[in-house]
Amino acid sequence: MIGKLLLAGAVGVPALTTATVAATGVAWVDVREGGQGGHRIVVPVPLLAAELAASFVPEKQLAQEMGEALEHLPAAREVLKALAECPDGELVRVEEEDERVLVEKRGDTLRIQVHGRGGQEEVTVNLPLEGIADIIGEDGRVSPLRAVRLLRHARFSTLVEVKDGDDHVKISVF
Amino acid sequence: MNRTWIVAGTLALGFGVVGAPGVRAQAGATPWLHVRVEEPSRQSKVSVNLPLTVVEAAIKAAPEKIVRDGRFQISCGHHGLSVAEMRKVWAELKNAGDIDLVTVEDKDETVKVARKGDLVQVRISGKDGEEVRVDVPVGLVDAALSGEGDEIEVGALVRELSKRRGDIVQVNDKDSKVRVWIDESNAGNGGK
Repeated sequence: MIGKLLLAGAVGVPALTTATVAATGVAWVDVREGGQGGHRIVVPVPLLAAELAASFVPEKQLAQEMGEALEHLPAAREVLKALAECPDGELVRVEEEDERVLVEKRGDTLRIQVHGRGGQEEVTVNLPLEGIADIIGEDGRVSPLRAVRLLRHARFSTLVEVKDGDDHVKISVF
Repeated sequence: MNRTWIVAGTLALGFGVVGAPGVRAQAGATPWLHVRVEEPSRQSKVSVNLPLTVVEAAIKAAPEKIVRDGRFQISCGHHGLSVAEMRKVWAELKNAGDIDLVTVEDKDETVKVARKGDLVQVRISGKDGEEVRVDVPVGLVDAALSGEGDEIEVGALVRELSKRRGDIVQVNDKDSKVRVWIDESNAGNGGK
């Protein structure tokens, strides 16, 4: 009987943990160094654990002096809300000799792409429009907890991807 | 060039302007405001495309010192023409029919402001080939000046603007080209 319980625990606990982590989401950080002998570091971060850690970060430490920017915060929120509701499309395109910047709205995501140095540098950022305005509170303080919670809106997507020559950094949320 | 930008910018953003007065919106479609700036010498192209709903949201939510209750607060101090004075002048001019309002000719450029049918036209021609064309529909000026005191009625302005389709501002000079227009395309190619 005890053997069966131990076996059930040995199988059940990891299975339950895996299921909980999978259900609540994982941020996947993948860093690859270019060149021969370049390192590769992969760090899976369960969102539940990140939320727990973020809840202990003292928000006072993250208070930023926003100055006049604070009074534009309501406008920024309204713009983000209107953007979330508007049809998809290309919002900004800047093309110069050696650089291209593209900002477009796709579904509930704001995608920012930068191509520089003739294709040597590439940065892609996908920001979930929903909830992004809530990261900064009415008092101008950044909330790490709300920032982590925002990642739930970005599940099953690549949040950030940076290529610089042979170096590659990718942060995905599953 | 600075004066060109000031005139074009003020008229485009303050009043909204359209070169195709007869072109009206179809119901239900989302109007997009497009801005295209090209500087061939720098191999630079900038394109901004925003749904008018986003523009309206930004204006409505602007800080109270700029917009209060959906109206731009404009203070001209002791210089220039106040909005209230503009309203009085406009009330007189509106019924005057087609008329040349302003003509300024100096050694570098010619500036003309005229009322032609449904449009208030601003034309600036520089000796170096610089050319600015701005057409402000009368309806937009009416909407902008429908408030009271030193206030520009933003809501009425955006509502009127969202009914319009076509070019708003065109600026061509030796260094750059600027085009501002409204259509229902989210791509910003404007068919050009």
